Amino acid sequence: MAGTQEGSPGLLDRVSTMVENLVKVTTTKAPIGQTPRQAIWTLNKATLYRYTPVKPPEERHRVPLLLIFALMNKSSILDLRPGNSFVEHMVNKGYDLYLLDWGVPGPEDAEMNLGDYVLEYIPRAVRKLKAVSGSETFNLLGWCIGAMLSTLYASLRGNVEGLKSLILLTAPLDFTDREQISLARMTDERYFDVDRVLQAFGNMPAGLIDYGAKMLKPVENFVGGYVRLLDNLDNPKVVESWHAMNTWVNDAIPLAGGAYRQFIVDFYRGNKLMNGTLTIRGEKVDLNNLRASLLNVIAVDDHITPPCQSARLLDKVGTLDKTELKVPGGHIGVMAGSGASKGTWPKVESWIAARSD
Amino acid sequence: MGEAEKVDVKKLLQDARDGIMDAWAKLMLTLTSSHEYQRVQGMIAKPALLGVALFRKATESVMSPFLAQMNMPSREEVLGIAQRLTHIEMTLDDLGAALEQLRRSLGARPQRAPAARDREVKPDNGSSIAAKEA
Repeated sequence: MAGTQEGSPGLLDRVSTMVENLVKVTTTKAPIGQTPRQAIWTLNKATLYRYTPVKPPEERHRVPLLLIFALMNKSSILDLRPGNSFVEHMVNKGYDLYLLDWGVPGPEDAEMNLGDYVLEYIPRAVRKLKAVSGSETFNLLGWCIGAMLSTLYASLRGNVEGLKSLILLTAPLDFTDREQISLARMTDERYFDVDRVLQAFGNMPAGLIDYGAKMLKPVENFVGGYVRLLDNLDNPKVVESWHAMNTWVNDAIPLAGGAYRQFIVDFYRGNKLMNGTLTIRGEKVDLNNLRASLLNVIAVDDHITPPCQSARLLDKVGTLDKTELKVPGGHIGVMAGSGASKGTWPKVESWIAARSD
Repeated sequence: MGEAEKVDVKKLLQDARDGIMDAWAKLMLTLTSSHEYQRVQGMIAKPALLGVALFRKATESVMSPFLAQMNMPSREEVLGIAQRLTHIEMTLDDLGAALEQLRRSLGARPQRAPAARDREVKPDNGSSIAAKEA
Protein backbone atom coordinates (compact mmCIF):
# COMPACT_ATOMS: atom_id res chain seq x y z
CA MET A 1 0.00 0.00 0.00
CA ALA A 2 1.41 3.36 -1.00
CA GLY A 3 2.00 5.68 1.91
CA THR A 4 0.86 9.29 1.96
CA GLN A 5 3.56 11.91 2.18
CA GLU A 6 3.09 14.60 4.78
CA GLY A 7 1.56 17.73 3.20
CA SER A 8 0.25 16.03 0.07
CA PRO A 9 -3.08 14.31 0.70
CA GLY A 10 -3.60 10.88 -0.75
CA LEU A 11 -6.43 9.83 -3.00
CA LEU A 12 -8.56 8.65 -0.09
CA ASP A 13 -8.19 11.98 1.73
CA ARG A 14 -9.03 13.84 -1.46
CA VAL A 15 -12.15 11.80 -2.12
CA SER A 16 -13.19 12.17 1.51
CA THR A 17 -12.82 15.99 1.29
CA MET A 18 -14.78 16.06 -1.96
CA VAL A 19 -17.64 14.02 -0.49
CA GLU A 20 -17.63 16.19 2.62
CA ASN A 21 -17.79 19.35 0.49
CA LEU A 22 -20.53 17.94 -1.70
CA VAL A 23 -22.67 17.04 1.32
CA LYS A 24 -22.03 20.47 2.83
CA VAL A 25 -23.01 22.52 -0.21
CA THR A 26 -26.08 20.43 -0.99
CA THR A 27 -27.47 20.20 2.54
CA THR A 28 -26.59 23.49 4.23
CA LYS A 29 -26.90 27.20 3.62
CA ALA A 30 -23.76 29.30 3.46
CA PRO A 31 -23.55 32.22 5.88
CA ILE A 32 -24.10 35.29 3.70
CA GLY A 33 -24.68 38.97 4.52
CA GLN A 34 -22.39 39.05 7.53
CA THR A 35 -21.14 42.65 7.64
CA PRO A 36 -22.28 44.14 10.98
CA ARG A 37 -25.34 46.38 10.68
CA GLN A 38 -28.26 47.78 12.66
CA ALA A 39 -31.90 48.05 11.61
CA ILE A 40 -32.82 51.73 12.00
CA TRP A 41 -36.25 51.84 10.38
CA THR A 42 -38.95 49.40 9.33
CA LEU A 43 -42.19 49.69 7.43
CA ASN A 44 -44.31 46.64 6.67
CA LYS A 45 -41.73 44.12 5.42
CA ALA A 46 -39.09 46.71 4.48
CA THR A 47 -36.10 47.45 6.70
CA LEU A 48 -33.48 50.16 6.48
CA TYR A 49 -30.10 49.00 7.73
CA ARG A 50 -27.09 51.09 8.60
CA TYR A 51 -23.75 49.30 8.35
CA THR A 52 -21.48 49.83 11.32
CA PRO A 53 -18.75 52.24 10.19
CA VAL A 54 -15.19 51.04 10.64
CA LYS A 55 -13.57 54.43 10.15
CA PRO A 56 -13.76 57.38 12.56
CA PRO A 57 -16.16 60.18 11.51
CA GLU A 58 -13.36 62.50 10.35
CA GLU A 59 -12.13 59.86 7.88
CA ARG A 60 -15.56 59.05 6.49
CA HIS A 61 -17.16 60.50 3.38
CA ARG A 62 -19.63 63.23 4.23
CA VAL A 63 -22.47 62.12 1.93
CA PRO A 64 -24.18 58.84 2.92
CA LEU A 65 -24.81 56.12 0.36
CA LEU A 66 -28.08 54.20 0.11
CA LEU A 67 -28.23 50.81 -1.62
CA ILE A 68 -31.42 49.45 -3.18
CA PHE A 69 -31.58 45.98 -4.66
CA ALA A 70 -34.23 44.19 -6.72
CA LEU A 71 -37.61 43.08 -5.42
CA MET A 72 -37.42 39.38 -6.28
CA ASN A 73 -34.10 38.39 -4.72
CA LYS A 74 -32.53 38.97 -1.35
CA SER A 75 -30.25 41.98 -1.02
CA SER A 76 -27.57 39.79 0.60
CA ILE A 77 -25.92 39.52 -2.84
CA LEU A 78 -24.43 42.94 -2.07
CA ASP A 79 -22.78 41.43 0.99
CA LEU A 80 -22.15 37.87 -0.17
CA ARG A 81 -19.26 36.78 2.03
CA PRO A 82 -16.27 38.34 3.75
CA GLY A 83 -13.63 39.14 1.16
CA ASN A 84 -16.20 39.16 -1.62
CA SER A 85 -18.66 41.78 -0.43
CA PHE A 86 -19.39 45.13 -2.05
CA VAL A 87 -20.84 46.34 1.25
CA GLU A 88 -17.68 45.41 3.15
CA HIS A 89 -15.58 47.10 0.44
CA MET A 90 -17.52 50.35 0.70
CA VAL A 91 -17.58 50.38 4.51
CA ASN A 92 -13.80 49.88 4.52
CA LYS A 93 -13.51 52.83 2.11
CA GLY A 94 -15.19 55.07 4.67
CA TYR A 95 -18.76 55.32 3.45
CA ASP A 96 -21.71 55.83 5.75
CA LEU A 97 -23.61 52.98 4.15
CA TYR A 98 -27.33 52.18 4.27
CA LEU A 99 -29.32 49.36 2.69
CA LEU A 100 -33.05 49.35 2.03
CA ASP A 101 -34.10 45.71 2.20
CA TRP A 102 -37.58 45.05 0.81
CA GLY A 103 -38.22 41.88 2.80
CA VAL A 104 -40.57 39.14 1.64
CA PRO A 105 -44.05 40.23 0.51
CA GLY A 106 -46.94 38.24 1.86
CA PRO A 107 -50.44 37.68 0.41
CA GLU A 108 -51.53 40.96 2.02
CA ASP A 109 -49.03 42.82 -0.19
CA ALA A 110 -50.43 41.49 -3.47
CA GLU A 111 -51.76 44.91 -4.41
CA MET A 112 -48.52 46.78 -3.73
CA ASN A 113 -47.33 48.55 -6.84
CA LEU A 114 -44.41 50.62 -8.04
CA GLY A 115 -46.05 53.76 -6.67
CA ASP A 116 -45.94 52.29 -3.16
CA TYR A 117 -42.26 51.47 -3.44
CA VAL A 118 -41.22 54.71 -5.13
CA LEU A 119 -43.45 57.25 -3.38
CA GLU A 120 -44.09 55.68 0.03
CA TYR A 121 -41.21 53.44 1.03
CA ILE A 122 -38.14 55.07 -0.53
CA PRO A 123 -38.98 58.66 0.56
CA ARG A 124 -39.63 57.52 4.13
CA ALA A 125 -36.40 55.51 4.21
CA VAL A 126 -34.54 58.54 2.83
CA ARG A 127 -36.11 60.74 5.51
CA LYS A 128 -34.83 58.36 8.19
CA LEU A 129 -31.41 58.11 6.57
CA LYS A 130 -31.09 61.89 6.56
CA ALA A 131 -32.19 62.12 10.20
CA VAL A 132 -29.69 59.48 11.31
CA SER A 133 -26.76 60.65 9.19
CA GLY A 134 -27.41 64.35 9.73
CA SER A 135 -26.77 64.95 6.03
CA GLU A 136 -29.20 66.80 3.81
CA THR A 137 -27.89 65.10 0.68
CA PHE A 138 -27.30 61.45 -0.17
CA ASN A 139 -26.15 59.19 -2.97
CA LEU A 140 -28.25 56.30 -4.24
CA LEU A 141 -27.12 53.04 -5.84
CA GLY A 142 -29.72 50.76 -7.42
CA TRP A 143 -29.16 47.36 -8.96
CA CYS A 144 -31.49 45.55 -11.40
CA ILE A 145 -35.11 46.40 -10.53
CA GLY A 146 -33.64 48.40 -7.66
CA ALA A 147 -32.03 50.55 -10.37
CA MET A 148 -35.40 50.94 -12.07
CA LEU A 149 -37.05 52.00 -8.79
CA SER A 150 -34.14 54.37 -8.11
CA THR A 151 -34.55 55.94 -11.56
CA LEU A 152 -38.26 56.50 -10.97
CA TYR A 153 -37.56 57.96 -7.53
CA ALA A 154 -34.78 60.19 -8.87
CA SER A 155 -37.09 61.55 -11.59
CA LEU A 156 -40.06 62.10 -9.28
CA ARG A 157 -38.55 63.07 -5.91
CA GLY A 158 -34.77 63.16 -6.23
CA ASN A 159 -34.46 66.90 -6.85
CA VAL A 160 -36.45 67.93 -3.79
CA GLU A 161 -35.17 65.28 -1.40
CA GLY A 162 -31.44 65.92 -1.74
CA LEU A 163 -30.34 63.20 -4.14
CA LYS A 164 -26.78 64.12 -5.07
CA SER A 165 -25.82 61.27 -7.35
CA LEU A 166 -27.39 58.14 -8.76
CA ILE A 167 -25.58 54.93 -9.65
CA LEU A 168 -27.47 52.41 -11.76
CA LEU A 169 -26.28 48.84 -12.20
CA THR A 170 -27.78 46.71 -15.01
CA ALA A 171 -30.95 48.79 -15.08
CA PRO A 172 -33.91 47.41 -17.08
CA LEU A 173 -35.33 50.67 -18.43
CA ASP A 174 -35.53 50.51 -22.21
CA PHE A 175 -37.68 47.86 -23.91
CA THR A 176 -37.49 49.18 -27.45
CA ASP A 177 -35.53 46.28 -28.87
CA ARG A 178 -37.79 43.48 -27.64
CA GLU A 179 -36.24 40.78 -29.80
CA GLN A 180 -32.93 41.29 -27.99
CA ILE A 181 -34.56 40.88 -24.58
CA SER A 182 -35.27 37.23 -23.83
CA LEU A 183 -37.57 38.07 -20.90
CA ALA A 184 -39.64 40.26 -23.19
CA ARG A 185 -40.29 37.29 -25.48
CA MET A 186 -41.16 35.17 -22.46
CA THR A 187 -43.70 37.70 -21.21
CA ASP A 188 -45.15 38.56 -24.62
CA GLU A 189 -48.91 39.12 -24.39
CA ARG A 190 -49.51 36.42 -26.99
CA TYR A 191 -48.11 33.70 -24.71
CA PHE A 192 -48.20 35.03 -21.18
CA ASP A 193 -51.37 36.13 -19.38
CA VAL A 194 -50.11 38.17 -16.44
CA ASP A 195 -53.59 38.69 -14.99
CA ARG A 196 -54.29 34.98 -14.96
CA VAL A 197 -51.01 34.34 -13.11
CA LEU A 198 -51.83 36.94 -10.49
CA GLN A 199 -55.42 35.73 -10.20
CA ALA A 200 -54.04 32.29 -9.38
CA PHE A 201 -51.26 33.28 -7.01
CA GLY A 202 -51.77 36.89 -5.86
CA ASN A 203 -48.05 37.64 -5.90
CA MET A 204 -45.69 36.38 -8.60
CA PRO A 205 -44.28 33.23 -6.95
CA ALA A 206 -40.54 33.06 -6.35
CA GLY A 207 -40.39 29.65 -8.01
CA LEU A 208 -41.84 30.97 -11.27
CA ILE A 209 -39.48 33.95 -11.34
CA ASP A 210 -36.54 31.66 -10.66
CA TYR A 211 -37.66 29.22 -13.35
CA GLY A 212 -38.09 32.02 -15.88
CA ALA A 213 -34.64 33.46 -15.15
CA LYS A 214 -32.96 30.05 -15.30
CA MET A 215 -34.68 29.16 -18.58
CA LEU A 216 -32.85 32.05 -20.22
CA LYS A 217 -29.75 29.82 -20.08
CA PRO A 218 -31.13 26.42 -19.13
CA VAL A 219 -28.08 24.21 -19.56
CA GLU A 220 -25.74 26.63 -17.79
CA ASN A 221 -28.15 27.11 -14.89
CA PHE A 222 -29.52 23.61 -14.39
CA VAL A 223 -26.40 21.58 -15.29
CA GLY A 224 -23.34 23.75 -15.90
CA GLY A 225 -23.10 25.13 -12.36
CA TYR A 226 -23.08 21.64 -10.86
CA VAL A 227 -20.50 20.40 -13.36
CA ARG A 228 -18.26 23.31 -12.37
CA LEU A 229 -18.74 22.39 -8.73
CA LEU A 230 -17.89 18.72 -9.35
CA ASP A 231 -14.73 19.73 -11.21
CA ASN A 232 -13.59 21.81 -8.24
CA LEU A 233 -14.85 19.88 -5.24
CA ASP A 234 -11.35 19.66 -3.80
CA ASN A 235 -10.74 23.39 -4.16
CA PRO A 236 -12.01 25.05 -0.95
CA LYS A 237 -11.98 28.55 -2.46
CA VAL A 238 -14.23 27.59 -5.38
CA VAL A 239 -16.49 25.45 -3.17
CA GLU A 240 -16.97 28.28 -0.69
CA SER A 241 -17.74 30.76 -3.44
CA TRP A 242 -20.14 28.33 -5.17
CA HIS A 243 -21.88 27.56 -1.88
CA ALA A 244 -22.46 31.24 -1.11
CA MET A 245 -23.77 32.01 -4.59
CA ASN A 246 -25.98 28.90 -4.64
CA THR A 247 -27.43 29.83 -1.26
CA TRP A 248 -28.34 33.26 -2.57
CA VAL A 249 -29.70 32.03 -5.94
CA ASN A 250 -32.01 29.52 -4.26
CA ASP A 251 -33.36 32.05 -1.80
CA ALA A 252 -35.59 33.94 -4.22
CA ILE A 253 -38.65 35.78 -2.97
CA PRO A 254 -42.06 36.46 -4.53
CA LEU A 255 -42.75 39.75 -6.24
CA ALA A 256 -45.74 41.82 -5.14
CA GLY A 257 -48.54 41.27 -7.68
CA GLY A 258 -49.34 44.93 -8.39
CA ALA A 259 -45.70 45.81 -9.01
CA TYR A 260 -45.20 42.76 -11.20
CA ARG A 261 -48.21 43.61 -13.32
CA GLN A 262 -46.95 47.18 -13.85
CA PHE A 263 -43.50 45.89 -14.65
CA ILE A 264 -44.84 43.61 -17.39
CA VAL A 265 -47.56 45.87 -18.81
CA ASP A 266 -45.98 49.32 -18.52
CA PHE A 267 -42.34 48.41 -19.00
CA TYR A 268 -41.91 45.16 -20.93
CA ARG A 269 -44.91 45.69 -23.19
CA GLY A 270 -45.53 49.43 -23.19
CA ASN A 271 -41.94 50.75 -22.80
CA LYS A 272 -43.66 53.72 -21.17
CA LEU A 273 -40.66 55.13 -19.32
CA MET A 274 -38.64 55.60 -22.48
CA ASN A 275 -41.69 56.75 -24.45
CA GLY A 276 -42.37 59.40 -21.82
CA THR A 277 -45.87 58.11 -21.09
CA LEU A 278 -45.31 56.47 -17.72
CA THR A 279 -47.33 57.80 -14.82
CA ILE A 280 -46.96 56.78 -11.19
CA ARG A 281 -50.03 57.67 -9.12
CA GLY A 282 -50.99 60.24 -11.70
CA GLU A 283 -47.55 61.85 -11.80
CA LYS A 284 -45.77 61.75 -15.12
CA VAL A 285 -42.27 60.30 -14.91
CA ASP A 286 -40.03 62.58 -16.94
CA LEU A 287 -36.42 61.44 -17.20
CA ASN A 288 -35.48 65.00 -18.01
CA ASN A 289 -36.20 65.75 -14.33
CA LEU A 290 -33.35 63.50 -13.32
CA ARG A 291 -30.78 66.13 -12.37
CA ALA A 292 -28.54 64.17 -9.99
CA SER A 293 -25.11 63.12 -11.22
CA LEU A 294 -25.53 59.80 -12.98
CA LEU A 295 -23.34 56.73 -13.42
CA ASN A 296 -24.91 54.05 -15.59
CA VAL A 297 -23.10 50.72 -15.30
CA ILE A 298 -23.73 48.26 -18.12
CA ALA A 299 -22.63 44.61 -17.93
CA VAL A 300 -21.63 43.70 -21.45
CA ASP A 301 -22.43 39.97 -21.05
CA ASP A 302 -25.74 40.47 -19.28
CA HIS A 303 -28.40 38.09 -20.66
CA ILE A 304 -31.13 39.15 -18.19
CA THR A 305 -30.84 42.90 -18.76
CA PRO A 306 -28.92 43.18 -22.04
CA PRO A 307 -26.91 46.37 -22.65
CA CYS A 308 -29.62 47.71 -24.99
CA GLN A 309 -31.92 48.14 -21.97
CA SER A 310 -30.10 51.17 -20.61
CA ALA A 311 -27.74 52.25 -23.39
CA ARG A 312 -29.99 55.15 -24.45
CA LEU A 313 -30.57 56.42 -20.92
CA LEU A 314 -27.91 59.12 -20.98
CA ASP A 315 -29.63 60.81 -23.95
CA LYS A 316 -32.86 61.08 -22.00
CA VAL A 317 -31.83 62.38 -18.58
CA GLY A 318 -31.63 66.06 -17.64
CA THR A 319 -28.36 65.94 -15.72
CA LEU A 320 -25.16 67.23 -17.32
CA ASP A 321 -22.88 65.12 -15.12
CA LYS A 322 -23.50 61.70 -16.64
CA THR A 323 -21.19 58.77 -17.26
CA GLU A 324 -21.64 55.37 -18.84
CA LEU A 325 -19.42 52.55 -17.66
CA LYS A 326 -19.28 49.28 -19.56
CA VAL A 327 -17.77 46.44 -17.58
CA PRO A 328 -17.23 42.78 -18.46
CA GLY A 329 -19.49 40.30 -16.71
CA GLY A 330 -23.04 39.12 -16.45
CA HIS A 331 -26.08 40.41 -14.58
CA ILE A 332 -24.90 39.22 -11.16
CA GLY A 333 -21.24 38.50 -11.83
CA VAL A 334 -20.60 42.17 -12.58
CA MET A 335 -20.92 42.94 -8.85
CA ALA A 336 -20.63 39.58 -7.11
CA GLY A 337 -18.29 37.63 -9.37
CA SER A 338 -14.72 36.79 -8.48
CA GLY A 339 -13.37 39.63 -10.64
CA ALA A 340 -15.72 42.34 -9.32
CA SER A 341 -13.44 43.41 -6.48
CA LYS A 342 -10.72 44.36 -8.96
CA GLY A 343 -12.97 45.41 -11.84
CA THR A 344 -16.34 46.99 -11.13
CA TRP A 345 -16.03 48.00 -7.47
CA PRO A 346 -12.97 50.29 -7.70
CA LYS A 347 -14.40 52.05 -10.76
CA VAL A 348 -17.79 52.58 -9.15
CA GLU A 349 -16.22 53.58 -5.84
CA SER A 350 -13.89 56.17 -7.36
CA TRP A 351 -16.83 57.74 -9.22
CA ILE A 352 -18.89 57.91 -6.02
CA ALA A 353 -15.94 59.17 -3.96
CA ALA A 354 -15.65 62.21 -6.20
CA ARG A 355 -19.26 63.05 -5.33
CA SER A 356 -19.31 62.19 -1.64
CA ASP A 357 -17.59 65.12 0.09
CA MET B 1 7.49 7.14 -24.26
CA GLY B 2 8.34 10.86 -23.77
CA GLU B 3 6.45 13.22 -21.45
CA ALA B 4 5.04 15.16 -24.40
CA GLU B 5 3.53 12.02 -25.86
CA LYS B 6 1.65 11.15 -22.64
CA VAL B 7 -2.07 11.42 -23.09
CA ASP B 8 -4.08 13.02 -20.29
CA VAL B 9 -7.26 10.96 -20.50
CA LYS B 10 -9.04 13.02 -17.84
CA LYS B 11 -8.39 16.24 -19.73
CA LEU B 12 -9.54 14.68 -22.99
CA LEU B 13 -12.78 13.51 -21.41
CA GLN B 14 -13.37 16.89 -19.82
CA ASP B 15 -12.80 18.67 -23.12
CA ALA B 16 -15.20 16.30 -24.85
CA ARG B 17 -17.80 16.85 -22.13
CA ASP B 18 -17.41 20.63 -22.29
CA GLY B 19 -17.77 20.51 -26.08
CA ILE B 20 -20.97 18.50 -25.78
CA MET B 21 -22.32 20.83 -23.13
CA ASP B 22 -21.57 23.90 -25.23
CA ALA B 23 -23.41 22.44 -28.17
CA TRP B 24 -26.29 21.39 -25.93
CA ALA B 25 -26.44 24.87 -24.36
CA LYS B 26 -26.59 26.53 -27.79
CA LEU B 27 -29.29 24.14 -28.95
CA MET B 28 -31.39 24.69 -25.82
CA LEU B 29 -30.94 28.45 -26.04
CA THR B 30 -32.19 28.44 -29.63
CA LEU B 31 -35.14 26.33 -28.54
CA THR B 32 -36.14 28.24 -25.40
CA SER B 33 -35.78 31.66 -26.98
CA SER B 34 -38.00 30.78 -29.93
CA HIS B 35 -41.55 32.05 -30.24
CA GLU B 36 -42.74 28.46 -30.77
CA TYR B 37 -41.39 27.41 -27.40
CA GLN B 38 -43.06 30.37 -25.69
CA ARG B 39 -46.33 29.49 -27.44
CA VAL B 40 -46.18 25.91 -26.12
CA GLN B 41 -45.31 27.16 -22.64
CA GLY B 42 -48.31 29.46 -22.74
CA MET B 43 -50.59 26.66 -23.89
CA ILE B 44 -49.44 24.44 -21.01
CA ALA B 45 -49.64 27.22 -18.45
CA LYS B 46 -53.16 28.35 -19.33
CA PRO B 47 -55.13 25.33 -18.02
CA ALA B 48 -52.77 24.93 -15.06
CA LEU B 49 -53.30 28.54 -13.98
CA LEU B 50 -57.03 28.23 -14.52
CA GLY B 51 -57.04 25.13 -12.32
CA VAL B 52 -55.12 26.89 -9.54
CA ALA B 53 -57.44 29.91 -9.65
CA LEU B 54 -60.57 27.73 -9.58
CA PHE B 55 -59.22 25.64 -6.72
CA ARG B 56 -58.45 28.80 -4.77
CA LYS B 57 -61.92 30.19 -5.39
CA ALA B 58 -63.58 26.90 -4.46
CA THR B 59 -61.53 26.61 -1.24
CA GLU B 60 -62.44 30.14 -0.25
CA SER B 61 -66.13 29.69 -0.92
CA VAL B 62 -66.16 26.48 1.14
CA MET B 63 -64.11 27.92 3.99
CA SER B 64 -65.88 31.28 4.31
CA PRO B 65 -69.18 30.02 5.80
CA PHE B 66 -67.32 27.54 8.00
CA LEU B 67 -65.05 30.25 9.41
CA ALA B 68 -68.02 32.57 9.91
CA GLN B 69 -69.79 29.79 11.80
CA MET B 70 -66.75 29.39 14.02
CA ASN B 71 -66.54 33.17 14.63
CA MET B 72 -63.19 33.27 12.87
CA PRO B 73 -62.03 35.84 10.30
CA SER B 74 -61.84 34.87 6.65
CA ARG B 75 -58.67 35.15 4.55
CA GLU B 76 -59.89 38.46 3.08
CA GLU B 77 -60.51 39.86 6.53
CA VAL B 78 -57.06 38.89 7.77
CA LEU B 79 -55.45 40.40 4.67
CA GLY B 80 -57.50 43.57 5.19
CA ILE B 81 -56.30 43.85 8.80
CA ALA B 82 -52.69 43.45 7.67
CA GLN B 83 -53.13 46.20 5.08
CA ARG B 84 -54.70 48.51 7.65
CA LEU B 85 -51.80 47.86 10.01
CA THR B 86 -49.38 48.93 7.29
CA HIS B 87 -51.35 52.15 6.81
CA ILE B 88 -51.26 52.78 10.57
CA GLU B 89 -47.52 52.10 10.51
CA MET B 90 -47.10 54.69 7.74
CA THR B 91 -49.14 57.25 9.66
CA LEU B 92 -47.10 56.63 12.82
CA ASP B 93 -43.90 56.97 10.79
CA ASP B 94 -45.07 60.33 9.45
CA LEU B 95 -46.13 61.47 12.91
CA GLY B 96 -42.78 60.47 14.37
CA ALA B 97 -40.93 62.34 11.63
CA ALA B 98 -43.16 65.42 12.09
CA LEU B 99 -42.53 65.42 15.85
CA GLU B 100 -38.79 65.10 15.27
CA GLN B 101 -38.97 68.01 12.83
CA LEU B 102 -40.92 70.08 15.34
CA ARG B 103 -38.45 69.29 18.09
CA ARG B 104 -35.57 70.36 15.88
CA SER B 105 -37.26 73.57 14.83
CA LEU B 106 -37.86 74.40 18.48
CA GLY B 107 -34.20 73.76 19.09
CA ALA B 108 -34.91 71.59 22.08
CA ARG B 109 -33.42 68.21 22.80
CA PRO B 110 -35.71 65.56 24.30
CA GLN B 111 -35.89 65.98 28.09
CA ARG B 112 -36.50 62.60 29.59
CA ALA B 113 -37.51 62.53 33.23
CA PRO B 114 -34.74 60.75 35.11
CA ALA B 115 -35.74 57.44 36.59
CA ALA B 116 -36.44 57.40 40.33
CA ARG B 117 -33.30 55.43 41.12
CA ASP B 118 -31.18 57.98 39.21
CA ARG B 119 -32.57 60.76 41.33
CA GLU B 120 -31.58 59.01 44.49
CA VAL B 121 -28.15 59.77 45.81
CA LYS B 122 -26.63 57.52 48.36
CA PRO B 123 -24.46 59.47 50.75
CA ASP B 124 -21.43 57.97 52.35
CA ASN B 125 -23.28 57.01 55.50
CA GLY B 126 -25.43 54.65 53.43
CA SER B 127 -28.83 56.26 54.03
CA SER B 128 -30.78 57.21 50.94
CA ILE B 129 -31.90 60.76 50.28
CA ALA B 130 -33.78 62.25 47.34
CA ALA B 131 -31.57 64.40 45.15
CA LYS B 132 -32.64 67.98 44.83
CA GLU B 133 -33.22 68.88 41.23
CA ALA B 134 -31.98 72.24 40.17
